[in-house]
Amino acid sequence: MQTVMERSAASPVFGNGERANRLKSTRFGGKLVNDYWENLFAAKEQGKKVVWYNGTYIPPFFHSHDVAWVHGEAWSAMLSAKHREVTAQERGEQKGYDRELCSYARTHIGQMLIELDKVKAGTSDLHPDDPRIETMLKLPPPDMIINAYPYCSSGQQWDDITYRVFGKKVPMFTIQIPLLWGGRQDAGYMQGEEWLERSRYVADQLVAMTRFMEEHTGRKYDFDRLSETMGFVKKAAELRLEAMDLCTATPSPASFFDWIVSIAPVNFLPGDQNIVTYFEGVLAEVKERIANGEGAVKDEKYRLFFDGMMNWNKVGWLADKFAAVNACVVAGRYTHMSFWQEPQLIDLKDPVLGMAQNYLICPNNHGAPIMIGEIEKICDKFGIHGMVMHAARTCRGMTNSQFLIANSAKKHGRQSLFFEGDVADESFYKDELLNVRLEAMIEALDAQKRAA
Amino acid sequence: MDGILQQFARVAADPLTYARDWKARTGRRVIGLFPMHFPGELAHAAGALPVILQQDDVPITVGQSQVFSFYCGYNRSIIDQALRGEFAVLDAILFGDHCVQLLGTADVIRAEVPGLPILFNQLCSVLDADWAMTQTQGTFTQLWRELEALTGAPLPPDAVRDSIRAFNRNRALIRQLYDLRRAGKVVLTGRQMQMVVKSSMVMDKAEHTTLLEQLLATIDQSGVRGNPVRVFLSGHLCHAPRPEVLDLVEDCGGLVVDDDLYHGFRFIHADVAETGDPVEALSHWYIDRNHKVPCPTRAIKGMDWEDYLLKAVDRSGAQGLVVLMAKFCEPHMYFYPEIKEAFDRHGIPHLLIETEHEEMPLEALKTRVETFIEIARRKAAA
Repeated sequence: MQTVMERSAASPVFGNGERANRLKSTRFGGKLVNDYWENLFAAKEQGKKVVWYNGTYIPPFFHSHDVAWVHGEAWSAMLSAKHREVTAQERGEQKGYDRELCSYARTHIGQMLIELDKVKAGTSDLHPDDPRIETMLKLPPPDMIINAYPYCSSGQQWDDITYRVFGKKVPMFTIQIPLLWGGRQDAGYMQGEEWLERSRYVADQLVAMTRFMEEHTGRKYDFDRLSETMGFVKKAAELRLEAMDLCTATPSPASFFDWIVSIAPVNFLPGDQNIVTYFEGVLAEVKERIANGEGAVKDEKYRLFFDGMMNWNKVGWLADKFAAVNACVVAGRYTHMSFWQEPQLIDLKDPVLGMAQNYLICPNNHGAPIMIGEIEKICDKFGIHGMVMHAARTCRGMTNSQFLIANSAKKHGRQSLFFEGDVADESFYKDELLNVRLEAMIEALDAQKRAA
Repeated sequence: MDGILQQFARVAADPLTYARDWKARTGRRVIGLFPMHFPGELAHAAGALPVILQQDDVPITVGQSQVFSFYCGYNRSIIDQALRGEFAVLDAILFGDHCVQLLGTADVIRAEVPGLPILFNQLCSVLDADWAMTQTQGTFTQLWRELEALTGAPLPPDAVRDSIRAFNRNRALIRQLYDLRRAGKVVLTGRQMQMVVKSSMVMDKAEHTTLLEQLLATIDQSGVRGNPVRVFLSGHLCHAPRPEVLDLVEDCGGLVVDDDLYHGFRFIHADVAETGDPVEALSHWYIDRNHKVPCPTRAIKGMDWEDYLLKAVDRSGAQGLVVLMAKFCEPHMYFYPEIKEAFDRHGIPHLLIETEHEEMPLEALKTRVETFIEIARRKAAA
């Protein structure tokens, strides 16, 4: 998201003062994100139906049916990245939502309540700094609600509340994306009876979702159009993975934080030529940097893996913090395992099954042994020295298994550190704790290097 | 009567000791179940003792190496028990819930107790979906096959029907106690009712049923004395609230007359059809649950928890509602504001008590409960 790419004037006073050398090509993503929101704000004027959704990256289904879409997580992340989440969270707290509840959900529901307050009061006397000026004021209310959350029960319950906040008058459709527990004899990454059963189950629900959209738009669903959309998505995914793979180079030409700001094109932006162009630009810049020996951080000494959900209000801050100790966060669970990771599964003539399978392999949606096995493969591939575990306070979906991941890393000779924060609630972030732990990790890595 | 309640209390206080003794006595398997929606009937039919795994009272120590402090007390305690070796008595664990915290807990157990089979068959979490029944039947059929593989013996449908009958009988007897209590004919404290239900989650069904029959035959039906404030308890999913908290409500002048606690009416409210295909019967039992006692983990469009609670409180003649919320329980945190607003609208006194596995200073809570009871009393008198 462009909003999170904009470099904050603030930078941590830490380490050697170096700052991250971010990819320039990702700036195009900012334009795409801004265009997306502008189009969304105008959706009602254009006569489009609006669907609010949460969970996995199903917008190609919406794009291909000419409905506009609002992704609750993206919305909360955007508010958080702009440091404007507090008003929404306070409104949620006023209603009775506990601050230990998912902060994505609290922000999203809180902002919903603010808008409904305004509607009820018939007023619009907003303070100039109120986030509604930029977002909620223009955000179209839903004509449909769709939920498709892999793994996280909290995600399903969040939309159960959205449905109630709108008086149970907006039609809702919920897709179950079941966990791949991996307990059967033949279980493995993308293999076994459970994998095949679950793939078909989710694909059938996705087709049922298109019927739901037909019912509420009065238009037939065009699967040829879906194939066309997925042609762009698949190409963009392949380019993204190619560029990521090139980061096995030392120094790494891009960092986890570059991939974080590149999530929007593979998560919720429209599946069209723009996302292909975006990743063509990223790939070209990555190649250019490799040719020039240019790294994402100056004098790269160590390569790290970021585990956990992103701390959206700290993207630039964290990018600079790691750069200031010459550590490049090269890969992460969220960036490198979560979005169209297996594009070859998508048959453009009949894409639904392959789409379902990509949704199913959200890393969290695997039992820990398979998920950790995949993490270790990534760590080996990118030559990772240490793990940075973001214990996001209100995100159980990503904090589950983090101790198991750290234990596994230790067995593979990798250091790990934990730091506290949250996805969209800055109050849980403790900067000094991360400073101390990061310094300690770097010292340990230095000592390891000296001893080798 | 007191002797029977004491037996229930002993089992409820130390479920795994009961399970160990049962195993030593019978030589049969003990199978753990995670709450809240997974039936024990199939494990029972397979000759095992199904035990719903409980939070224990031991402070979390070794478990902290595998779970964050911002997880609910139930999950932290289960992980702690697993790491302390308490689950050595178990031959398997069955579950099918989608609670994100519990899924993480199961993975920790898989890693830390590698010899313990975990038969995970995820239940459809969208109960009003067109495919919910088909999926649920598939889930229970798969579980049936896995239990046969675990025991190495076929699981005859007649044996499952027998188990269904045994479970139904047990639930029906506990519901009789609830009916008598609602009607004011018997006084069973919140603590006592918890012991009745919690022990039924653990004990051999036939043994528990025999004790229930004796209890119903001997229970004092002279009714309520004095003029206590009638209180309805709600919430506390998955694990039992500390009995001391329930005592406090009654020590402050309340009388618990009904509840929708998991360690209460929620657990025993619904029966399974005793004829026909057992898989179909169990599936209906699961799919229809939310129409009877709504659960926030399985919200459906046509039924709201707060509407159910308003009716249930009215039916029980309760004068106030105490919501017991386990800290960090996400579904409860989502739906609590709906309950709060509904009870505010109807002018029914209510009190939220957030519970924790440790660190619950009861004296600080006492003042709040006393105030709530006083408000409810005045409201009833007005």
